[in-house]
Amino acid sequence: MNNILVKNLSVYYDSHCALKSIDFEASEGEFVAIVGKSGSGKTTFLHALARFVEFSGDITMPKNIGMVFQQYAVFPWLTVSENIAFGLENETKEKRAHIVSEHLTLAGLEDKKDKYPAELSGGQIQRIALARSLAHNPEGLLMDEPYGALDAHTRGKMQQWLLDIWTAHKKTIVFVTHDIEEAIFLADRVLVLNDQKFVGEYKISFARPRSESIKFSPEFNKLRQQIFESLSHTNSEPLPK
Amino acid sequence: MKRFLWFILPIAVLIALWEFISRSHFINPALFPPPSQIALALLEMITSGTLFSDSRDSLWRLIAGVFLGSAVGVVCGLLTGRMKSFATALTPIIQILRPLPPVAIIPLVIVGFGIDDGAKIFSIAFAVFFPVWINAHIGARQVPRAFLWGAKLFTNSPVKILREVVFPATLPFIVAGVRIGIAIGFVMVFVSELSGASSGLGYRISITSLAYRIDQMIAALFVLGMFGAIADQLFVFGTRKLFPWMIFSSR
Repeated sequence: MNNILVKNLSVYYDSHCALKSIDFEASEGEFVAIVGKSGSGKTTFLHALARFVEFSGDITMPKNIGMVFQQYAVFPWLTVSENIAFGLENETKEKRAHIVSEHLTLAGLEDKKDKYPAELSGGQIQRIALARSLAHNPEGLLMDEPYGALDAHTRGKMQQWLLDIWTAHKKTIVFVTHDIEEAIFLADRVLVLNDQKFVGEYKISFARPRSESIKFSPEFNKLRQQIFESLSHTNSEPLPK
Repeated sequence: MKRFLWFILPIAVLIALWEFISRSHFINPALFPPPSQIALALLEMITSGTLFSDSRDSLWRLIAGVFLGSAVGVVCGLLTGRMKSFATALTPIIQILRPLPPVAIIPLVIVGFGIDDGAKIFSIAFAVFFPVWINAHIGARQVPRAFLWGAKLFTNSPVKILREVVFPATLPFIVAGVRIGIAIGFVMVFVSELSGASSGLGYRISITSLAYRIDQMIAALFVLGMFGAIADQLFVFGTRKLFPWMIFSSR
């Protein structure tokens, strides 16, 4: 059953075309990664799914979705537990406290619950951001290069953590990244966005749970090369020499 | 200790130099009394009770004016910064009033409010409003979209978003605006008490000048300046206590 369905989606910023006649679907509990170069329309695609920008075409999304941004992922004026509790005012006090406690444990930040985001590392901030989204029990999660600003080591740990959470919760995830390796490691399916449209689709058949070792397998390398080539087919201007 | 020495040393040197110049009659001591004479004048003002009543009246006008001007400035700034309809309706009026020197409206304010505290408080609030409004307006316009989008996924209430997202995100700008407002408030307290007042530090400076009591005039000026510095530091201290996240974010 399709959880997310997009038909003939186009987005224009004034006269500039950001996305052109895109079709997309993701089934319930599927992990889809979208790769593309800067300016290819990856972020715009997520913004259209979340209805943050005006678009033409049809988008069917679950009613309750969450989103994790690369920058400004959490509110710096709220503590870790206040960030997770944001928007849970309709719950009873006891239920809210339970949800916050549960998601603090999920993020492994129980001992940081009264800290402000500026006192935490980039990886910890992204964990709060994901925990905050999950606290609302969304049916779908949109993730916009959440680990783009992290170092390689932290990034690897965060990817593994995300997979553990996804395995436990089975949310539909649309994950945007410019990192091909990250996309293959995480997703069931990788879509390549180039020149405002999808130009390639790759089914990732590595068994789950996945470990870092698959990144060194010939199959992984072959996929990486195919996706890289798909990304390279572009009409964009060459860089100046 | 070293820091304290660096803080106190220039002040001590300045006072010693001033005392020496005044006492050596390089300049007429009646026009430029030494710090020791000013200290005695200050003591006299304290014991007579005039300093207390003047300070109380000036500070009351200042606090009321700064609070009123800041509150209206913040609300208007948030609304014009985030809501197009408010920006369209209010910005032209504010922009026409903004270039007016606040001192120039005092005669008009006296006509409207009389010579009581109301006129002085209104004049101070009028002057404080503009830096607070422009800062809040610019701050509200610069709230990162990710904050607003993120909030919209969790709540449908525009009031909650304005109060719990836009306001705190704008707070560093508001704090800067209010600090400018406090400094302007002190100028306006002094100016508004020059005419139509029978108490206050501005009034005291004015009459001691006319009575040729330069020592008392400088003492009152010193107290006004000291209150200004303390008010700014108190505001910064209060802000850090109320909004501790601002300290971490600015590191």
